[in-house]
Amino acid sequence: MADMILKKKALADFLRSLGRSYQVFGPKQEGGEVRFGPADGEVLLDYQNSRLSPKEFFFPQSERMFEFNADPKAEDAFLLKERPANLRPRLLFGIRPCDAKAFAVLDKIYGNDQYTDTYWFDKREATTLIGLACNRPCATCFCTSVGCGPFHEEGLDVLAVDLGEDVLLRPLTDKGEKALEAAGDLAKAGKKAAASAKALKTEAESSITSRVDMDKVNERTVMELFEADHWAKVAQRCLNCGVCTYVCPTCHCFDIQDEVSGQIGDRVRNWDSCMSWLFTQHGTGHNPRPDKTSRVRQRFMHKFKYIPLKRGGDIGCVGCGRCVVQCPVNIDVRDVVRDMNA
Amino acid sequence: MTAAEKTKEIFQPKIVTFLCNWCSYGAADLAGVSRMAYPPNIRVIRIPCTGRMSPKFILEAFRQGADGVWVSGCHPGDCHYIAGNYFARRKFTLFHDLLSYVGLEPGRLHFSWISSAEGEKFARVATEVVEAVRAVGPSDRFAKERIEVA
Amino acid sequence: MDKRTEKIREIAKRLLSEGRVDVVLGYGPGTVPLRNAPLFARTPEEADRLVWDSNCRVNLANFLPRTSERVAVVAKGCDARNVVGHIVEHQIKRDQVYIIGVPCQGMLDPEEVKKREGRAIESAVESNGDLTVKGPGFETTMKLGDLLRQNCLTCIHRNPPVYDELVIEPVPEQTGLDRYADIRELLGRPDGERYAYFKELVKDCIRCYACRDACPLCYCHVCFVDEHMPQWLGKSIDPHDVLTYHLLRAFHCAGRCTDCGACEAACPVHIKVRQFTRMLEKDIQDRYGYEAGMSLDKLPPLSVYRPDDPQEFIK
Repeated sequence: MADMILKKKALADFLRSLGRSYQVFGPKQEGGEVRFGPADGEVLLDYQNSRLSPKEFFFPQSERMFEFNADPKAEDAFLLKERPANLRPRLLFGIRPCDAKAFAVLDKIYGNDQYTDTYWFDKREATTLIGLACNRPCATCFCTSVGCGPFHEEGLDVLAVDLGEDVLLRPLTDKGEKALEAAGDLAKAGKKAAASAKALKTEAESSITSRVDMDKVNERTVMELFEADHWAKVAQRCLNCGVCTYVCPTCHCFDIQDEVSGQIGDRVRNWDSCMSWLFTQHGTGHNPRPDKTSRVRQRFMHKFKYIPLKRGGDIGCVGCGRCVVQCPVNIDVRDVVRDMNA
Repeated sequence: MTAAEKTKEIFQPKIVTFLCNWCSYGAADLAGVSRMAYPPNIRVIRIPCTGRMSPKFILEAFRQGADGVWVSGCHPGDCHYIAGNYFARRKFTLFHDLLSYVGLEPGRLHFSWISSAEGEKFARVATEVVEAVRAVGPSDRFAKERIEVA
Repeated sequence: MDKRTEKIREIAKRLLSEGRVDVVLGYGPGTVPLRNAPLFARTPEEADRLVWDSNCRVNLANFLPRTSERVAVVAKGCDARNVVGHIVEHQIKRDQVYIIGVPCQGMLDPEEVKKREGRAIESAVESNGDLTVKGPGFETTMKLGDLLRQNCLTCIHRNPPVYDELVIEPVPEQTGLDRYADIRELLGRPDGERYAYFKELVKDCIRCYACRDACPLCYCHVCFVDEHMPQWLGKSIDPHDVLTYHLLRAFHCAGRCTDCGACEAACPVHIKVRQFTRMLEKDIQDRYGYEAGMSLDKLPPLSVYRPDDPQEFIK
């Protein structure tokens, strides 16, 4: 299917007509921040990125995995029951290419030859992603250094580009084509539109001033990087809170716990953070990462060394810059990677 | 149940009661051996001293569905451990004010000083507490039954 | 350059070259606009990067507990009171810490800046009481005084009460402020409305614990959220658990909190967590006449008692 085009003022109708076949979500202004919510027609096009990543659509912060009743007299005694998941087809409009690339990376972590996380994939399969290319990357974006970019297509079903008065819609997958067909009423984009999009892409990519090099990080061994002497300095001011892990689109760790009330209970999965000492605390009392420095080191080693090694080169960071903006003590991942690459 | 039967059905509150071992628990014992009557809605947890009380216990009781919480200890000046109840008094004051501030209904959280000789006071305060909680009704604001997530 | 910056650098370099302290804990420039980062200066060269401006929101007293080093700490009024608190609570010895006191005139709230200038800011410069922010195609100047944090607007202890050296002459303290007008208004509402208000206040909480980890008072080896036998609250974003977390944390800060605002500054979803702690601060002032961290000789109110303490609600 070729690139399609839509008049910007027809965008609201486009989303409404999609709303007949999908539950549509898009970026909305909430107070001083942008958040993804139900898009009943009106969405933002002129924004940089949401405060929290949209990973919560596939990896909710708290999720009931199943419930159970241990009362032998109950009809459903000892049966593990999943609540029927709301798997109506969904459409996420307006996410940024970095967040989409993050989903592609997480697909490899949640699904591999050892196991498949159905809680993640059920939602992924039911969701179509129409991303919005970044015409104006933030000063903190460094996506082009980590295998991504403002017009990157990996992970998206459709790439939308804001051309000014028009919006270009480029279908990238079967799901994407299906969505554009469902909306109907779209014209084929002409050569001018395609050229316009290409020019915007070049401009956006060259406007990204934040760069990190990873050539030495890729060359060096794990132990060389692990035993470098800059980690203590980085960790000095770290609060070991969880802000970076929770705003990050590629962080994916979780904790599972049963919450029991009398005889009935729920098994719940919650976001967890490697910044917490409890994260690696053993039942014996031993903790392999007992101090702040080892935990801080772990986070950066995981993202920039272990994940590329284990997942065929994909970096565990997409350069969205959220952690840079939100870290209460301004630990800047770009500086840390520069230290690792020094 | 008919409408008439329903209106006759009276709400029986569950009140978790923390009693200090030396004074108030003794008072409860005395009320018992003296055959004093008071409503059976209190469920007693014996603690060594009101100084042992923590706001965590009060929140946990409400969380598990208690309609009311009552803490009772020795009179200030008479604490078996000398000063436990003095420290407790400050904690109770601030926590009572904090819970009330965030919307705990008045009548759910009670404190008293009852000595081991005051069996009659125990029965009287127990009745007061139970009726006060009964008047507020079943607890919902600080109770957690099942996790509330999507 | 702000006079305070020059003086802080001078003092830091002196202390380090004389070997008086092992490290000077101050602020350095951030990598994004309107942000400073804690700077641990261990040499006079590193000390030359110390700065002071209206973005010094992090409470550096947070880094003191359990350090074995001799530390000089750059402390504004509220932070210095937390250093006093740490000494009183035996988390650091008085002779281990050198307080570089900074009389403060308030810190910026980046959210206020964003409210007034919503476009993406690329640089922010302060000068003579003004803040000039620049971005692609625009430049806006605003008065610093209009952009201050809520706790700074009601601050009555801008000058450190305890210090080893002050970097400038004390600044006039604000007077005639009604610090708790909004708390009193809340207290006047029916309990159902208050409950709804607080549920709404914390609904966006993502349990990141930035508030706790930025707070100098929270230094327990095992925080109550990590206790598991018994476990007092769940780890999810269930509304009851979220409210329980904030209630218990506020209570643990009772009588010790200096309203430094580090909690609100750290929160990534901008929750006004001070609505919990300020009520307790007011209550403690009314009932026990105590203000945290004003004197090395006074113990916090929950560590002491008087035989005639108020008990009007106790039967």
